[in-house]
Amino acid sequence: MAFITDKQTLDDLNIFGRHGKQSVFSLFNFTYTKGGADLLERMFRNPMNEASAINKRSRLIRFFQTARLSFPFKSEWFDAIEPYLENTDTRSRLSHADNNLERKFRNLIGSDTDYQLIAKGVFGVYSILYTFRQFVESMEKSSAGSSWDEEMVVIKTLLSEPDFHKLYQQKLPKKLSFEESAEYDKLFRFIHRNTITRLLSYIYSLDVYISVASVAERYGFVFPSALDANDHRVELVNVYHPHLEKPRANSIRIDPQGNVVFLTGANMAGKSTFMKSLGIALYLAHMGFPVPAERMEFSVRDGLLTTINLADNLNMGFSHFYAEVLRVKKIAREVNSGKNMFVIFDELFRGTNVKDACEATIAIVGAFAERTNSMFIISTHIMEAGEVLRDQFRNIQFLFLPTKMEGTKPLYTYQLEKGITSDRHGMIIIQNEKIIDILRNGKKKTITA
Amino acid sequence: MASNMDKVFITDKQTLEDLNITGRYRPDSLFSIFNQTKTGGGEKLLDEMFHHPLTDPDLINQRSNRFLYFQQNQLAFPVETIVFNEMENYLHSGGGRTFFGSFFQVVRLYALKAMGLRTEFEQLIKGLGATAVALNHLNKFFSELMMEDPENPLKTEIQQFLELYNSVALQWLPNFTQEQKMNLFQLVARDHHLRNSLAKELKKVLQLVYNLDVYISVSLVAATRGLSYAKALPAEKYLIKANNCRHIAIENGVGNPVLIDSSNNLLFLTGANMAGKSTFMKSLGTTLYLAHMGFPLAADDMEFSVKDGVYTSINVPDDINQGYSHFYAEVLRVKNVAEEVASGKNLLIIFDELFKGTNVKDAFDATLAVSEAFSEYKNSAFVISTHIVEVGETLQQNGHAGVLFRYMPTEVIDGKPRYPYTLRTGISSDRHGMVIIKNEKILEIIKGDEEV
Repeated sequence: MAFITDKQTLDDLNIFGRHGKQSVFSLFNFTYTKGGADLLERMFRNPMNEASAINKRSRLIRFFQTARLSFPFKSEWFDAIEPYLENTDTRSRLSHADNNLERKFRNLIGSDTDYQLIAKGVFGVYSILYTFRQFVESMEKSSAGSSWDEEMVVIKTLLSEPDFHKLYQQKLPKKLSFEESAEYDKLFRFIHRNTITRLLSYIYSLDVYISVASVAERYGFVFPSALDANDHRVELVNVYHPHLEKPRANSIRIDPQGNVVFLTGANMAGKSTFMKSLGIALYLAHMGFPVPAERMEFSVRDGLLTTINLADNLNMGFSHFYAEVLRVKKIAREVNSGKNMFVIFDELFRGTNVKDACEATIAIVGAFAERTNSMFIISTHIMEAGEVLRDQFRNIQFLFLPTKMEGTKPLYTYQLEKGITSDRHGMIIIQNEKIIDILRNGKKKTITA
Repeated sequence: MASNMDKVFITDKQTLEDLNITGRYRPDSLFSIFNQTKTGGGEKLLDEMFHHPLTDPDLINQRSNRFLYFQQNQLAFPVETIVFNEMENYLHSGGGRTFFGSFFQVVRLYALKAMGLRTEFEQLIKGLGATAVALNHLNKFFSELMMEDPENPLKTEIQQFLELYNSVALQWLPNFTQEQKMNLFQLVARDHHLRNSLAKELKKVLQLVYNLDVYISVSLVAATRGLSYAKALPAEKYLIKANNCRHIAIENGVGNPVLIDSSNNLLFLTGANMAGKSTFMKSLGTTLYLAHMGFPLAADDMEFSVKDGVYTSINVPDDINQGYSHFYAEVLRVKNVAEEVASGKNLLIIFDELFKGTNVKDAFDATLAVSEAFSEYKNSAFVISTHIVEVGETLQQNGHAGVLFRYMPTEVIDGKPRYPYTLRTGISSDRHGMVIIKNEKILEIIKGDEEV
């Protein structure tokens, strides 16, 4: 069963980002091969919901981080082999009979592009096999008994295909003769095609693991440990947003005794950023990837749904409020079916009047609170709703991001504190701007009706 | 009165956006609704009118009377657009400055034509011909108009035109046809007159045509959309009065009466989310704006004392780039408006959902304080909408004078909300946020009572 998430969530957390912009994916993508980048994207598209699979991948990446290996292949080899291996037309196979005067002449004037493409492909695969074999031999010791060992066994078997033996005997040449190319073409594309493809897929995984491990190393990301889903616990120490230059870290523990987090704070206090950090960490954790935090333990969830930048759809005649209602309904359906969800909702019901918002927030948050197997992070500026909920529920955590007034200037600490914020500087700001004074002392006209 | 004529009607970008007034490329903007002009100059003139509403009641009434005149007489634009465009091009591309200059230019084209390069010469003939044809059409149109109604509103400008048309230099015009050949001397003389010696006079003719274009096209829009004209009063009357005030861009929109004067200068508006508060506020804003342009508008029997300007706050965006939260953006906007009001100007102020970007208590305190302080300015008119009905109740309890309480009702029929869009007196506590949530059965779904 797939991990449940959706486009809104991917957009909110900026997992893939808009073209060319910084995204969580681009943060991790230092792959050398297109196959590696594709695989990385597939991993990002398919977070997992089984603790064993998650832990297995994270162990693999950790192995590469410790081994400090660098990717041994040249990316130009991969550029050449892709069109080459895709071409399975037997008529394109090189044969000795073709090595005639005509070919040599065409080679001389440079018009034998078909041959060049195939020769480059053959040389690419040749170099890859040669290098892979060397690489595997060099890491034999370090991988023994590691999580990579299982893969190593398979790779070694694949590489030790007797037909390839001749290839390993000599040094890597600069170029292959026509006869050699023709011979290996037959082996690579037709006889052992399957072996080659399988080896390549291991190389792509290698590419991804090395890339992710290098990112973990560079930024000091940490590998979370996946717990049993039935613990219903997520614990994060000093989690932060990976895209910020000077991020502030926060810690949080969510469990059935406090599975709903009611987050308040002034507008610029950092509520959304904290929620995004949390969402990104949770998303990466379900991929078995390292996360921007000091420590993380989490019970595997069935899905993650966030609502941070919800657009209204006026074209379809939806008000912002109605868009929110529909979003809540979607979440409600997932929660209802007994799934263990992680839900983030920023500024719940901001699209309506405060009274409706207050009433609706109490009703919805209250209903969520009874679903103790799911986790909810809900932010709002309607602190009044929090006060009502505090009297009704024991399993709601009240957290806030404070604003300190230094004279007339608001200062933000970006550090979570317990409670509901009583920051009400709305009137202070109005007083600072002296609006009422301006009106009191203005030129009033006396008008006799 | 003279100083009034120089006074600029004050508004700002936020207001123009809120009321969707000038967006040239937005099909539903006020400008686009009225822009049925046939000439580029007419469009430009219309654009200027939209950017500069008037503040002198006499000028406003004069202009609206002209629109009304054209609407009643159902006059059609007298020149074909293609012909007029050619005339414009021709007159704008200057000839030589002196007679000899013109002469050499024409001779040069003649010579080029002899060498087989006909294009430029043909262009000259075409432009001159089109100008002559257009002038003849205009002459016919204006002469008839003067005959039928010597007291028509454009009579001064028309008389100037007729004098020009009948001047010696243009006496060849009535007999002109595009088929007839001109000799070199005729061509030089005619070209020189049209593009040089009479250039200034002909520019005035173009201006007259642009005006005509605007009057005719706007009055046509008025007729097809069933619009009316307002009567402008001196500023000291402090009155905005209309019946059946609707939103001009909404077909079959529901109308509402409006009466704001110095004894009741603050309209306190409540109602549920989709009940039509914003639309009503926009209707009033656009109507008053059009009224100051002397334009036809979507309200009946309107009378208004001229204002110095209008400010609206309907969709205030937050300015994340400047680090402003939504609330702070609203505060700055209110401050801006407060300064204008306090300077003694007569304004119409429209605030939709004041302070919605903050918590309930702050929003309550702020809305109450601001409403009370504003309403002291009896020379300005205020429309303030809010969801916080307690502000209205407190205003009522305090016996605050000069506040009109109105609301947009919601009727719930079979559990579904319906909106009549007609204003009622009082304060509404209609809220159907919870009704919508109940309709969607969300609580039941979360609790697992509902099958999904």
